[in-house]
Formats: sequence, C-alpha cells, structure tokens
Amino acid sequence: MSQLAGHRVLVTGGSRGIGRAIALACAGAGAAVAFNWSRDEDGSEAEETVAVLRATGSTVHGVQADVSDAEAVSRLFGSVREALGGAPDVLVNNAAVTHDGLLMMLPETGWRRVLDVDLTGAYLCSRNALRGMIAGRWGRIVNVVSPAAFFGKEGASAYAAAKGGLVALTKSLAREVARYRITVNAVSPGFVDTRLIRELAEAERSELERQIPLGRLADPDEIAAAVLFLVSPAASYLTGTTLHVDGGLTML
Amino acid sequence: MDRDALAAEVKQLLVTGLRLDRPPSDIPDDSPIFGDGLGLDSIDALELVVLVEDRFRVSIPDEEVGKRAFASVRALVDFIAEERQP
Repeated sequence: MSQLAGHRVLVTGGSRGIGRAIALACAGAGAAVAFNWSRDEDGSEAEETVAVLRATGSTVHGVQADVSDAEAVSRLFGSVREALGGAPDVLVNNAAVTHDGLLMMLPETGWRRVLDVDLTGAYLCSRNALRGMIAGRWGRIVNVVSPAAFFGKEGASAYAAAKGGLVALTKSLAREVARYRITVNAVSPGFVDTRLIRELAEAERSELERQIPLGRLADPDEIAAAVLFLVSPAASYLTGTTLHVDGGLTML
Repeated sequence: MDRDALAAEVKQLLVTGLRLDRPPSDIPDDSPIFGDGLGLDSIDALELVVLVEDRFRVSIPDEEVGKRAFASVRALVDFIAEERQP
C-alpha cells in the first residue's frame, strides 16, 4: 500500500496506544511519519515506536514535546520539517491527558491541564500545520475525540469538555479552510484495548463489553484504519464530520 | 530594494497569488486589502499571510500584526520594509 506516498504525517502523542497504531498505519501506507511524546514519559516506549515504524521502510522522526506549550510546538514543527524534508501535510491531533474526579472536587490545576493538552494542544498544532497546508493547497487534519464528547461522562468532566470542544473546533476549522482543499475531521474511538483498559478488573471489563453492541473492545488498529481512511484520497469529500469507531456504542 | 519596486512586487503578489482580476498597476497604494478595497475576505487573508511570509521573510503570527500589516497596500509595503529579515 502506498496511498500516502509523498505525504508527511505528524501524529501527536504517537509513542503508544492509539497514536502508535495511527503512526504505524500511516508509515505502512508509505508516508514519512513524525510523532511526539509527552513530558510524562521516559522515552523508552518512543524508542520502541521509532523502531517499529522504521521497519516499514518509511522516514520516521520521534521527539519529546509538550503540545500545550506554544514555543515547544513551534520547535516541534521546526524539527519535523527538518527531519521529514518539509512541513507536515497530514496532522493527527491525538495527544490527550485526563484528570478524573467529580467536578465539585476537581482542582483547577487538573481542569486546566486537561484543557491545555487536549484542546489548546490541538489549536496550537493546527495553527502551525495550516501554513504549510495552505501554501500547498492540500491538507488533512484528524482530531481524536471521545464518546464522552457526545454523552458526557461522570468523573471526567474536564476530559469530556475538552473533547466536546475539539468536536466544535473540528467543524469550525473545517469551514474555515475548506477552500484550500484542507479537510478537518474527527475520529471518536470507543473502548480500546490499551494499557488503561487492561488494568481494569475482569468484572469491570465484562461490564464494559456488555454495553458495546459489537460485544468487544476495539483493537487500536481498528481506530487507525478509520484515521487512515480520513487522510486518504478516498475521503476527499468528507469534512467537519466525526467517525464513531466504537462498536456501536454511540450510534449518532 | 527601493520602495516603489517593493510596492510593485507586493501588488504583483496580490494579483497572481490571490488571482485578482485586474493588473497590478491598477491597485492604488491606499487601497484597503480587505473588504471593499480589493474585495477579499478574511479567509483569503490566510493565504495572503502564507504568501507574504514565504516571499518576503516576515512573520505575521496573529491577527494583531495582521491587522496592521494588511490595513492597506501601503501599510503592507511599510510592514515588509520594516520587518523583513536580511
């Protein structure tokens, strides 16, 4: 498969989980791929990800950068341009954190950190990516959101608010840049079989699976496939929309 | 580069970059770039930012600078003359 040959992709939060699967899918489709990882990681997973991605034969670049910090994002884009030989024309805003807790007891620092990374991070990365996309009159932005954006989620109000904001940002930006052949869409993964879920007790896990019409958790590759579709030529007429890749959980 | 040559280059960029249906010499120096002047809208501004930054090595990072730079053709020429990197 080489449907992304000649394209340069940046996946934020790409060292593990869904982000890694997305980066791998894009590299497998022939794109040069960059990703960043967060200040909370030691870099060992990132190293492993670089190795996994390089095995596809693609150009790969991994760098630590906090997407909520405007200067760090600017440096991130500088290093990506250098490593991939140009500005990314595909951006996947996947980096996210959460701070769980009931809103009445949620510390302001936790609230702000979640909004800063999950929503402001997407704003900063999109802002940096758009210049190159407008100059090239082509671009793809995919924002990774969550069913929490549509249903709300008790104990995760900051995360749900940030993801809901990201859905609205997706639609607004899609309108702003459509004229430049840049599409902006979202993917909303349901429950995915990543480390977070694997740590749950068996009983909690079966309860989760019971809520999903397809009766099982998603594999990260199934989320990546939807992202790959949205950035591929086949999705040229989609913009401002959300693909709910959630086994039927949301059905919006 | 003298100011007249720079102004001519800016007008040429406006016409070719934004596909305006008029010769560069028909654009007055005091013409507002957006709204009634050249008939451009705020989304055209995004492309103009990219074109001007690439061609003249200036930075238009936000709308505050953008408003100053794009007030008129003359303002844009002044902005480039002051801000361009060697």
